[in-house]
Amino acid sequence: MNEKKSWLGRALSARGVQSVVTAALGFVLLFIIFCILSPQFRSGNNIQNLFRQIAPTMIIGIGQGFVLITGNIDLSIGSVVGMACMTAGTLMSNGANPWLACLVALAMSLAIGLVNGVLVAKVGLPSFIATLGTMTLARGLAQLVNNNHNTNFIGNTAQGFRDTLYYDSFLGIYSTVWIAIILWVILWFLLSKTRTGRHIYAVGSNLDAAKLSGVNAFHTILITYMVSAFCSCLCGLVLLASAGMGTMDAGTTYEMYAVAACVIGGISTLGGTGILAGVIPGAGIWGILQNGLQFVGAPVALRNIIIGIIVIAAVMLDVVARTGRKKPKAKTK
Amino acid sequence: MTAKQEISEKGIGIMEEYIVEMEHINKSFAGVKVLKDVKFNLKSGEVMALLGENGAGKSTLMKILSGVYTRDSGSLRIFGKEQGDLDTKKARALGVAIIHQELNMCRHLTVAENIFLGREEKKGATLNNKDMAEKTKEVLDSLKIDLDPNEIVGNLSVSKQQMVEIAKALSIHAKVLVMDEPTSALTAKEINELFRIINQLKEEGCGIVYISHRLEELSHVADRVTVLRDGEFVMNGEFKDYTMDQLISFMVGREITEKFPRVKCPKGKKIFEVKNLNAGKLVRNINLELYEGEIVGIAGLMGAGRTETTRAIFGIDPKDSGQILVDGKEVKINKPMDAIKAGIVLAPEDRKKDGLCTKLSVRDNLALPNLDLLCNKIGKVNRKKEKELVDKAVQELNIKLASPELNAESLSGGNQQKVVVGKWLARNSRVVIFDEPTRGVDVGAKVEIYNLMNELKKQGVGVLFVSSELPEVMGISDRIIVMCDGRITGELSPEEATEDRILQYATQFEAKI
Repeated sequence: MNEKKSWLGRALSARGVQSVVTAALGFVLLFIIFCILSPQFRSGNNIQNLFRQIAPTMIIGIGQGFVLITGNIDLSIGSVVGMACMTAGTLMSNGANPWLACLVALAMSLAIGLVNGVLVAKVGLPSFIATLGTMTLARGLAQLVNNNHNTNFIGNTAQGFRDTLYYDSFLGIYSTVWIAIILWVILWFLLSKTRTGRHIYAVGSNLDAAKLSGVNAFHTILITYMVSAFCSCLCGLVLLASAGMGTMDAGTTYEMYAVAACVIGGISTLGGTGILAGVIPGAGIWGILQNGLQFVGAPVALRNIIIGIIVIAAVMLDVVARTGRKKPKAKTK
Repeated sequence: MTAKQEISEKGIGIMEEYIVEMEHINKSFAGVKVLKDVKFNLKSGEVMALLGENGAGKSTLMKILSGVYTRDSGSLRIFGKEQGDLDTKKARALGVAIIHQELNMCRHLTVAENIFLGREEKKGATLNNKDMAEKTKEVLDSLKIDLDPNEIVGNLSVSKQQMVEIAKALSIHAKVLVMDEPTSALTAKEINELFRIINQLKEEGCGIVYISHRLEELSHVADRVTVLRDGEFVMNGEFKDYTMDQLISFMVGREITEKFPRVKCPKGKKIFEVKNLNAGKLVRNINLELYEGEIVGIAGLMGAGRTETTRAIFGIDPKDSGQILVDGKEVKINKPMDAIKAGIVLAPEDRKKDGLCTKLSVRDNLALPNLDLLCNKIGKVNRKKEKELVDKAVQELNIKLASPELNAESLSGGNQQKVVVGKWLARNSRVVIFDEPTRGVDVGAKVEIYNLMNELKKQGVGVLFVSSELPEVMGISDRIIVMCDGRITGELSPEEATEDRILQYATQFEAKI
């Protein structure tokens, strides 16, 4: 029965692919529009920068995607970004080994992920509330680690760290982009090829059914929060490498960027649906708007307004496209 | 022979007889005892009917057997071996499978993914999707269910989803299979298919626990019967030794004299008329009339367009053409509010989804559609008026509840149905449409719902009701309309109606579908 469909037809009818294709087309369209409108935008230098700008959003988008698919949300992402950035920054500016500093930041981030997972899946708090708490808590830790000051410049001791995470490039692509790509491949494998991934979808689709089928919902949800915390930490370290110093408000509202990237890419906040590939065009659209609108001379206020409208429009378009194409619902009678 | 050997021999003897033995089972939820000293046993190769009213503890008992709940005390032996606390995985490993009453499917996953959920097969670190799809196909084929293993479950009809549940339970080679209301969403044809599967499993030595409110269908499959009432064991025995009426009185603890109470009313004037109604494929050229003090039953198979017709009348789905007249005057119904204003009321098929806000109190539910009558100019709800309305509804419909402040979901099915109807009492409705009012409701509550319909009838309201259970359609209606493939194919008076004649009309176009 399926043999008749072409390879392309089958790929398109696979779950979640449609929204990803829609988002990718949107990205390409925006790309072309900005290329026509602005010569600076289409310069090779900016294109390289554009992708490096998109990468951090993609990294946290991947983490948020894991959590959203289980039907939960992680609001602590932005604060964990800031905490990781400040923790590693403080240690580095005081002369610690940069990679050791990264490990300390990672341990702290994963601890927040652990707390999130336990509060949501074991204690049973609504994820919105639980992660709202840890969001504030992690931001407090970000302020605490260096006594309520931003850190000093870290370039003297940690130039290698900065190059590896931000400035190096390979095949004309910056290392940050490579990091995002490698992270995506690993986590795509986890989500779509392994048992854990299947359980993540099952928990988001129908928690009771998953539990009754013997799925360990606690482990599954915990893993998603750990993945999210790991991604947030990585994003924080990228920001540190980029700026050369830790700032206490680094990553503020990033959790919302992550949600936007997911939702534009077809990962529903209701859980159970969406594929990780959606995060790529999702983060892409977010990043290209920030970058492109700047080059066509839109003031900051206008940029925000336009981005807000486009996010809503993108999601609406997706909803309309999906419900419009849906077969008349099979009635029970 | 030593004493020890003797005991072990006896043990084997017991094992051959009973594959499941539950004794002195107690279970409480939040201090409320739902099972009191209950006993239950099951032999291999038999179908044990487990009967009781809603809230009798049937589902709880079976959830203990399948490891969803743990018992507070009592002993549980499976294949003669005493079991400690089970979880779903352990129970499954022992060969105990359960098909839950509520559909427990992950809508976003495929058929194969659902069937293998929680016990996915792996090749190295990755999932072996091809193997799982093939094995799913085998299970579906052995059950003669025509489904693609890669179909997303959310795209399937409810009855197909139910078949997937059954396939899921069977795919673990269950030796003890619990079916909790397995037929509530199946068509007659699928029910026969299910009975064929049950007989096949029996021959293979599987012990089956069958929970159902449809007593009629039990006579086709049940070997033995266990009855629970209010969390207590009442009786067990050979099914054929008891009459339906005896079983019902065991269940409800009293005699139910009339299963289908009928009230005679003089037929009044025509109050409602549908002319040439068309709405999509399943509502084609529908013409029907309804008179004061009349109950009209709409019979037909699943997919005959009965629900669709009620939805089109009520303005939920758009109409392509047709007229609706109330008291001889045409009314335009484009949305449910138009229908409500015209005096038409719908009690939908899915109480929990469409009929009630289950998390709100009974008071809130009853007041919800009447807020325009209860509010003053600035929109503040008049508590006194609200209380009057709620008290009136509770009293008139005899809704059994401790307090109207309780959540609607805490009521039994029958009482929930009364709340659904009670919402509209203040509206002086002319026509009340019930869609499958007794689905998943126990015998006692069914009679209460029939009485409710009769009460409305006596008040001169026209009652239209859709039902898949032929005995109740024949027992309650003053007129029976049969639908098939979106069309009305026959009309019968209760005197001329027989199951055969209704089915004949209901399958008129079957060959063409």
